[in-house]
Amino acid sequence: MAIGNNGIARWNGLGTGNEQTESEVRTLERVIFHIDVNSAFLSWEAVYRLHVLGDTHDLREIPSAVAGDVKKRHGIILARSIPAKRYGVRTGDMISEATKLCPTLKLVPPHYDLYATSSKAFMKILREFSPCVEQYSIDEAFCDMSETIALYGTPVVAANLIRERIKEELGFTVNIGVSSNKLLAKMASDFTKPDRVHTLFPDEVPRKMWPLPVGDLFFVGRATKKKLKNLGINTIGDLAQTEVSILSSHLKKHGELIHDFANGIDVSLVSSQTVANKGYGNSTTIAFDVEDAITAKLVLLGLSETVAARLREDNMLARVVAVDIVDYEFNRCSHQMTLYEATNGTSEIYQAACKLFDQLWNQAPIRHLGVHTSKVEEDSGMRQLNLFDMEKNEKLAALDKAIDSIRDRYGADSVMRASFVGSKIYHMSGGIPPEKRKVNYKDVKF
Amino acid sequence: MNVPVDVLATFNTIGGIKPTYIRLEDGDHMLHTHKIEDILYTKEEKYAGIAAMLFCCNIRNDNCKQMIKLRYQIESHTWVLVRSL
Repeated sequence: MAIGNNGIARWNGLGTGNEQTESEVRTLERVIFHIDVNSAFLSWEAVYRLHVLGDTHDLREIPSAVAGDVKKRHGIILARSIPAKRYGVRTGDMISEATKLCPTLKLVPPHYDLYATSSKAFMKILREFSPCVEQYSIDEAFCDMSETIALYGTPVVAANLIRERIKEELGFTVNIGVSSNKLLAKMASDFTKPDRVHTLFPDEVPRKMWPLPVGDLFFVGRATKKKLKNLGINTIGDLAQTEVSILSSHLKKHGELIHDFANGIDVSLVSSQTVANKGYGNSTTIAFDVEDAITAKLVLLGLSETVAARLREDNMLARVVAVDIVDYEFNRCSHQMTLYEATNGTSEIYQAACKLFDQLWNQAPIRHLGVHTSKVEEDSGMRQLNLFDMEKNEKLAALDKAIDSIRDRYGADSVMRASFVGSKIYHMSGGIPPEKRKVNYKDVKF
Repeated sequence: MNVPVDVLATFNTIGGIKPTYIRLEDGDHMLHTHKIEDILYTKEEKYAGIAAMLFCCNIRNDNCKQMIKLRYQIESHTWVLVRSL
């Protein structure tokens, strides 16, 4: 590697012998990796079964999928193996659709505690290679390697080193996209899978990215894809060569953004700082259609419990409460209100949620309920008293604090409101329910 | 499948772990204790992020030496007899 007068690193193909490819001889300002775990949930379960439980079958080699419980109406495919993909099984498909496509599909239950452990170990390895790692989701991360790449050789050599290290140590495979910005790195990691390193530097964009269908571009969803198709734009290359004015007249600001993306332009930086939550919310799909307000409000109470507990854990207060309802025909509606003052009390959030629910509900059987809060601010410990606080807020806050500490020490189910006794509704709805955190392998057929 | 087993082990002041005896159950639910004669190698593992230590050791079984693999799962503090392929 040579450092030019302007301080920009020039790669000369170190570590790859005399074969210098176009992408290795280049001037770079930044080196960004996007690391994506192949079929994350399924891979982690497969490795767990192979190496921890001692199973002899590798789920990754057979048509298999991680799926929710059909009886609880959580019956969708969360992750599927590459052999299952060949049958046309997609993430998000309903189990009934997936088993029609592939009758031999092996379904395994979700195991979120394992996913959290695997994800943590995965991130820890990445942080050994660079101090600047941005966790993008549970199974993918951006790594700014600009400052540390000189330790390893060329970007491709470093990427292969990370890929091999993860495979060797943690037992699962990853795809790594290498480029000079986040967008191109992400696009590159999505090329052929599994266990691959791909480069997509700006000069490779016309050759590697432009022939792809426009729907493969980051930020082009189903709706945008349809609009672009109507404009005769089918590939990323078509989009890159379209006049920005045409795109912005049809898609407004989003048109300019995806035009930049199609040309490989992205100025966002890798940020290792965790961005503070803008809001806290939880929702749940109920195992049966709810037809009465009492049951629906019990679900809202369960959701308020978890949302408020999360706010209190992060020492935050929320000023806006919103409720959303999905009915049996999948019609979605939501309603929100601003409180007199910001709160993190279960009781206040629940009361607001009930008020919103009464205004919103049209008596249609309910499939899914959500409680969300926004306009969050840090809890300074002081509250503005007002004449309308008929409830004794200080006492309620002390109660919440006591309940939190009991649940923290003895588990979420150690204390619950009497209204949930004998009810089919879980008292801490939303988030990941206990049955999805761990798997009872005594009931699982291998 | 790996089988959970009872193990007697020593832990030294620098964190070294050495299994010394293992108790196995036979088909008639009878328990048999075997001395671990020597440890051939140990390896730290972290498959799927789960920290464990693998011990490849020889036990005495009816005057025969038999090689087994034991895994100590650090988080759950459990020992398993690794299924031999």
